[in-house]
Amino acid sequence: MTAAALTGEAERAIPAPRRGRATRGAYLVAAICVAVIAVMAAPMALSFLASIKTAADASAVPPHYLPQALSFENYAKVINFQAGLASYVGNSGLVALITIAACIALAAPAGYGLARFAMRGKEIAFLILLAPIMIPYQALLTPLYLDFARLGLVNTHLGLAIVHTILQLPFSVFLMRNSFESIPREIEEAAMVDGCSTWKRFTRIFLPLAVPAIVTVALFAFINSWNEFLAALIVMNRETSFTVPILLVSVQIGNHGAVDWGALQASVVISMIPCIAVYLALQRYYVSGLLSGAVK
Amino acid sequence: MMRTCGALAALLIGSSAFAAAAFADTMTMWVRASGVNAATHMVDLWNSTHPDKIELTTIPDNQMVTKLATGVQAGDVPDLVSFDLIYMPDFMKAGFLVDLTDQLKADPNYASVAQAYKDIATYEGKLYGAGFTPDVSILVWNKDLFKKAGLDPEKPPQTVDEIHADAKKIRALGGDTYGFYFSGACPGCNIFAVSPMMVASGSKMLPANGNDEALTGEGVKDVLETFKEMWGEGLVPKSAQTDNGANFTAEFKTGKIGIQGTGGFLLSDLKKEVPNLNFGVTFLPGVKAGQVSSFVGGDVVAIPKGSKHEALARKFISWELTDEAQLEGLAKNNIVPSRPALADNKYFAADPRVVVTAKAIGVGYVPWVFHFADMVNSDSSPWINMFQRAIFDGDVDGAIKEGREKMKEIAGQ
Amino acid sequence: MAPALLFVGLFVMIPLGQLVAVSLTDRSLLGGDRFIGFTNYWRIWNDSNFWRALVFTAKYTLILTPILMVLGFLLALLTVENTSLKRVTRTIVFLPVVIGLPSSSLLWFWLLDEQVGLVNKLLVELHVIREPIVWFATAPLAFWAVVMSITWKVVGFGMVLFIAGIQSINPDILEAAVMDGAGYWSRVRLIILPLTRRVLLLTTLISAIGSMLAFDQFYIMTSGGPRGQTFTAVYWIYQNSFISFKLGYGAALSIVLTLIILFFSTMQIALTARSVET
Repeated sequence: MTAAALTGEAERAIPAPRRGRATRGAYLVAAICVAVIAVMAAPMALSFLASIKTAADASAVPPHYLPQALSFENYAKVINFQAGLASYVGNSGLVALITIAACIALAAPAGYGLARFAMRGKEIAFLILLAPIMIPYQALLTPLYLDFARLGLVNTHLGLAIVHTILQLPFSVFLMRNSFESIPREIEEAAMVDGCSTWKRFTRIFLPLAVPAIVTVALFAFINSWNEFLAALIVMNRETSFTVPILLVSVQIGNHGAVDWGALQASVVISMIPCIAVYLALQRYYVSGLLSGAVK
Repeated sequence: MMRTCGALAALLIGSSAFAAAAFADTMTMWVRASGVNAATHMVDLWNSTHPDKIELTTIPDNQMVTKLATGVQAGDVPDLVSFDLIYMPDFMKAGFLVDLTDQLKADPNYASVAQAYKDIATYEGKLYGAGFTPDVSILVWNKDLFKKAGLDPEKPPQTVDEIHADAKKIRALGGDTYGFYFSGACPGCNIFAVSPMMVASGSKMLPANGNDEALTGEGVKDVLETFKEMWGEGLVPKSAQTDNGANFTAEFKTGKIGIQGTGGFLLSDLKKEVPNLNFGVTFLPGVKAGQVSSFVGGDVVAIPKGSKHEALARKFISWELTDEAQLEGLAKNNIVPSRPALADNKYFAADPRVVVTAKAIGVGYVPWVFHFADMVNSDSSPWINMFQRAIFDGDVDGAIKEGREKMKEIAGQ
Repeated sequence: MAPALLFVGLFVMIPLGQLVAVSLTDRSLLGGDRFIGFTNYWRIWNDSNFWRALVFTAKYTLILTPILMVLGFLLALLTVENTSLKRVTRTIVFLPVVIGLPSSSLLWFWLLDEQVGLVNKLLVELHVIREPIVWFATAPLAFWAVVMSITWKVVGFGMVLFIAGIQSINPDILEAAVMDGAGYWSRVRLIILPLTRRVLLLTTLISAIGSMLAFDQFYIMTSGGPRGQTFTAVYWIYQNSFISFKLGYGAALSIVLTLIILFFSTMQIALTARSVET
């Protein structure tokens, strides 16, 4: 029973209402869907519209829904800011990739161990692995930074990726553990009978079956690493190493807190694009990944 | 013989130039985000005239202290740092900065720097920094609105009461035209644009230590009372109450505000974005005619301890005080020089308003206190609490009393 | 399993230990380090601002979490089928999740601004209100403004988790219920809800912990105002550590907050385990 099969079967699982009431009910549901789409998409659409206004128009009082005149000066400002957009995107991308790799490499075996091996202190180990999300991470950053300085990890992509991995690990481990738990024992027992070693069982059987969950881990690791601001600012200290969230903050700040609204919208739109692209590309794995990962 | 000498000389000169280029260093400089435009002009000018380059890194304003503090403790600092001057006392006391006393005392250019900049960079008799990209607060007024309201467009208000009276007349024009504006939830904006009115009226604002007085004199009360009245009479837009600075400059640009306290930085924005707006610039007034003041702010530049290119960094600081740097780097780009004597220069000659702004540095003050962020800039500071309680809640006396107590408490730490 | 534990041990437990150590000193951001034992913790006991912030944070968590869970669940019910319209709806509802929290907070801050914001303009034009509301002038409105923006941003996450849960229910059970004549909402109440309980509880836990640690959205949208009424616990820690420079005290506050969260999480996990067993 793979995840995909379950999804397929579920299509039939929620039976349609009986005829007669069917069309009216269906229209109502469709109408609600459209309303939901409108409400949820509106802020993003408005943000995009504001980003193509002129800078002055974007701060206009009172505001206008549509641009008075199309202008890409906001995007130009963001793209040309300090080290140039490519630099920030490159840094964010590299850190995100390392974070994804680390999360998968650490969470998969950990999830496997938690799912399959009985041992004392398993729950305690799980709790320790879950700890990072309960601590306000802003507080951890200062001691961590001083440790990094001693280890030479300051201003490195690896250092920042380590911090991001810490933040993502609990959720990743949870997903992997539940995904492995839902794999039926029969398959594993068959492999054991065939004389497969633990490691081989892990790589040949479990990992392939857990691909959806792995993809989900990667997706979330990417999103959270890409959007993380505070650790990026503390760990990096050269403009050429800064990531996209720092650009977002710096580009719109004016004197005494004055905000350049146009630049802000443009930078938000720019930073959203990779995340949306990754999400859409991985979408079909995502739901089935959570399916096997979150539900027993 | 001559030819050999000449050739030898040429070879020596050529090789030293080559050597200079080959051994050119790169200095790193941190600058806070809201100062990056100004700093870039100076750094570009230096880079175009010197073999050793400076590389700028922008730090969001409210993270600058943290970055520098953790950096110093980890031994991971830039060669130069440009930051909001109100943090100087804390940094000097913490021993983060390199002592520049000898160099600066001997520098004739430093002698003519505005007194406020010298004061803020002094600790226990030693000097630790120099004014870099100045910013100063002034009063702007909308000449077109003045004319419409029947006021003389060339006569700005000279006292706090006149601001009130003029604002009332302008509000009488009705609609969405307002007499005055201030950012009610922005502690920094108000210490910048409102406190000078109090100082001009004779008040002292912040305590330097636990035994020092805070908010002395009647000036604080008079100004707060006037603001309270203006708010109560609806002379200020309702949105001012929650503006945390995001619209500090946007409002006046709409052309619907009669008078506002603001900074020199607004001038070039106005000229560029709304060239049809006729505005005037004057000093922030006090309670009586003739009393004027300003908040002398902006960035100072200093060298953090642990800098790897200290000699070069010192050279930069000397350089930025020279006529050339001040005029070509700052004045040319509509930024006020830190030496008021340079206010009357060829770049400013075209616009007397900029000259007034440059002169404002000479009449202004800057508070010398520890824990400025705690006392003033923080979202829970006694300063902003007093401001809001007096103006929006209407309890001026209670607000001042509470402000005094809390400020002394912080200063005593 | 070992690598993950080692990793967490090295990069979380050690700094945590250092944090505890710092909490026992009066260390300042600007240097200076004196051992003062439990003085910081004693001060916390008397720190009314912290307790007020904590109560506010708890109130925020208790109100926001049900909203997110109920809306998330309803949206999941709405879009669980795989028709094109529903898939598009799912995607659009989930999109805000991929935007960073600072970006989303700034976006709503702009939308709700009394001067340049479009929400007010829309509400006035639709004659819902007569003049623009200053959203952040009063604590209740500011609170709901933040709740609104976070709901927009995060509801998609719960929705997708719930969809996964619903789609894993054995279709035979539901078919049997239909044949027995059970109506739609009865099926939801008697079958779907009980069978997705584990997902519900997991999502509630994650959401609640996230809310207890809320900071960015308040920092950006309300600046803790008006008059300090919307400070959250972590915001207060930030103020103490980085604005007042009191790293030692801030560390102590962090430890206390962590212990409180740990306590409630453990309780909830224990209750969950017991109810799932039955």
